[in-house]
Amino acid sequence: MSNAMEWLQFVLAPQMINGLSIGVAVVLMALGLTIIFGLLDVINMAHGEFYAIGAYLAVALLATGMSFWWALVLTPLLMAVLGFVTERGLIQRVFHSKDRHTLTLLLTFGVAVVLEDALKIAFGANPLRLEAPISGATEMLGLFFPNYRLFVMLFGGALIAGVWLLVFRTSLGAIVRAAAYDRNMSASLGVPVQLVYAGTFAFGVALAGIAGVLLAPIYSVFPTMGKDFVLIAFSVVIIGGMGSIKGALLAGLLLTQVQSISSLYISPVWSDPLLFGIMVLVLMWRPQGLFGKLGSA
Amino acid sequence: MNPILSVKGISVQFGALKAVQDVSFEAQPGKITAVIGPNGAGKSSLFNLISGAIRPSSGSVRFDGEDVTGRAPHQLLRYGLSRSFQITNLFFELPVRENLRLAAQFLEQGRGLFRPLARSQTAAARVDELLGQFDLRNKADELAGYLSHGEQRRLEIAVSLASRPRMLLLDEPTQGMSHGDTRETESLIRGLSHNHGLSILLVEHDVDLVMQLSDFVVVMHQGQKLAEGTPAQVRANPAVQAAYFGEKL
Amino acid sequence: MSTPASSSTIGPRGGALATASSERPRRSAATWLAILFFAGALLFGGIALALGDVFYLRLATEALIFGGLALSVDLLLGRVGLLPLGQALFFGLGAYVSALVLKNWSDSFWLALGVTLAFSAVAGLIGGLIAIRAKGVYFALISFGLAQVLSKVVYNTRELGASDGIIGVPSANIMWGVNSATPSGFFLVVLAFIGALYLVLRYLMDTPVGRQLDAIRTNEHRVSFLGEDPWRYKLGAFVAAACIAGCSGALYPMLRGFVSPELMFFQVSGNAVINVIVGGTGTLIGPLYGSAILTGLRSVVGSFTTHHHIVIGVLFVLVVILMPRGLIGYATPALQRWLDARRNQKENR
Repeated sequence: MSNAMEWLQFVLAPQMINGLSIGVAVVLMALGLTIIFGLLDVINMAHGEFYAIGAYLAVALLATGMSFWWALVLTPLLMAVLGFVTERGLIQRVFHSKDRHTLTLLLTFGVAVVLEDALKIAFGANPLRLEAPISGATEMLGLFFPNYRLFVMLFGGALIAGVWLLVFRTSLGAIVRAAAYDRNMSASLGVPVQLVYAGTFAFGVALAGIAGVLLAPIYSVFPTMGKDFVLIAFSVVIIGGMGSIKGALLAGLLLTQVQSISSLYISPVWSDPLLFGIMVLVLMWRPQGLFGKLGSA
Repeated sequence: MNPILSVKGISVQFGALKAVQDVSFEAQPGKITAVIGPNGAGKSSLFNLISGAIRPSSGSVRFDGEDVTGRAPHQLLRYGLSRSFQITNLFFELPVRENLRLAAQFLEQGRGLFRPLARSQTAAARVDELLGQFDLRNKADELAGYLSHGEQRRLEIAVSLASRPRMLLLDEPTQGMSHGDTRETESLIRGLSHNHGLSILLVEHDVDLVMQLSDFVVVMHQGQKLAEGTPAQVRANPAVQAAYFGEKL
Repeated sequence: MSTPASSSTIGPRGGALATASSERPRRSAATWLAILFFAGALLFGGIALALGDVFYLRLATEALIFGGLALSVDLLLGRVGLLPLGQALFFGLGAYVSALVLKNWSDSFWLALGVTLAFSAVAGLIGGLIAIRAKGVYFALISFGLAQVLSKVVYNTRELGASDGIIGVPSANIMWGVNSATPSGFFLVVLAFIGALYLVLRYLMDTPVGRQLDAIRTNEHRVSFLGEDPWRYKLGAFVAAACIAGCSGALYPMLRGFVSPELMFFQVSGNAVINVIVGGTGTLIGPLYGSAILTGLRSVVGSFTTHHHIVIGVLFVLVVILMPRGLIGYATPALQRWLDARRNQKENR
């Protein structure tokens, strides 16, 4: 019996806490993706690259001597600008075409290609390391947990709660949801739909950027990190249900737990295939994912 | 005479909404059977159940004696049951001729799939026949999307007839039509039934049209069958009059 | 009522289809553009041979091999309407199978190709059964995911050479002493192969089977009400595309003497999609043009900088926004108009 307790305490719990810290960042990224889809009906294939840019921005800002905390605040603001410009300058150009779905998919795919190479040009192909701003560990349950990971969990959790409140409890959120539900009606009610679209895209991109900053000290920063992460982000969104905030939250936490716990038993090479396999199964059995569209949380 | 279509106890539920509840009726071969009812009566759901678009939760559909309950649309066509769509469901990016050819290809029964199109002569002959019958010859090479509303409706019916079905399901064929177009469609439908012996099941909103055209009428109300009979019988039925309160019969 | 006011911005226009169905003995613009491509390729080969060049011949052969991959993408994207973001999976698998056959069994070109064909058909069937149920972005992601996952597995498999891949693949014997080691000889063989593929696909598009694929792309819902099960056609197209990609991939080790997991990476799938869009989705010859032009461009730009991806990427984004029907997508109707005008002139004399 004590063996099981020990296993729980020393093996499972740490993995779960680790998974939770990653999970929080994955949820933030998935939230951005699902909000962009829920409102704009756009599949943002470049979402992974925005995540990478967030991480690289943090590296660059820190290199100027700025503290991590300022970088954490500044990066999402800069990312929001980038997202706004991308939406107005590129996505709007194909938005009104009949083949909108395919074209935005291809467009964001092209943007991803450009951004990935741009990062390589700007920062080189070698991985970069970012020092965690908080060092040391705290003792809990007889184990030591890295303080930075605990911070990520708390900060990320607070941010997720903030997003939830923003979308479902504020009038701004109501405006966004209305525009998602019925664009023409909202426009005729005086809602500046164009602005809402660009703003929402910017918001989603900013969330990806924050995820990048948060995870940068945990994983290293390299140019293909976006592509590696985009599959898990899409898996989460699809399993949770495209456009569903509740879905992104639950699926994000669940899947990262599956990933951490399974890493105890299988080699990390199989972790992606496992997640992908789950995504395919969900798509085959319940194509709409766990939950429905935006507004139904 | 055996009915060509026999629906028994068919039901379907969408969540808590019982769209169709235990409906049964028969349609005779070579006759025009109509399903009418006020808004929300469940006509569309019934139609979708029979045409294979949705599966019933209970009940059965028999076509010419064979059980076709829950079969997919492409299987139903093999039995001889074809449907047309209320919102024209054509291949708008393709020319009229191609729309008809795709539908007529069924007549080739899988022959010549990998042969040049010219070899599918049965299909080509049928296309020609339909172009004449539905007065679409001068629009044959136009993209279906560029046709007028009336022409699209005609093409829609032509496409659903191309496979020479034994029964045609018409989903609100005069929806949104002008008076003139409605009269034209009425004579078209009557012609199909009387001249070609085609069995027709139609769901309609235009009660006047139904009364003039049909041999047999089924009235639905709130998901259930309210009454059935000849147009005269149905018109005289007080329950039907009550359901349509305010509408002329 | 619906109008195709802007028509489909990707894929063959109804107009082109209308012309094809009333085919006259005189050649259409699409045919002329195809003749131009293959004649141009032959001319290129002749000049290169005369100049004793090896590098450009091999580069052109590579462009043709990737053109085959582009054709497989176009079959799915331009004809069925499914976007495959992981077609390199079949290309790479085909390359590996071919390399293994050539290295361990026999250096026969035909055997390598035959085994690859069989293998690709099976792989395509399995992949298709998983992927075909999905549409739109879901299909794209499953395709992407399959390639990501399997390429990682191959990357980590020591028996397949892990990250180094398989090297030392002998050249393949084709016939009458021609083998893949001779640059000009193999260039012609690959050109013939790709030409044959193109002709078969072009032929199929005017058969009931090919037209059914177009119908599925245009309005899948209605297809089932016309008596055909769209799922079967989509699966068939997926398997065919897998075979085309696989057999094209089989030619790669014959050209370069090695295979590596990179052949399955997203870069290759992405490039193929870019080649198709830039060349002209649904035109079949467009992807070949796209592959030729962009492979050349990548090589030229690549000789100046390692960052040719961003150049191609920017070009691609511009194409998607400004000319989504691609080069051949615009060139064909323009050329057709010119040809028709010329014919009218001749007839009026």
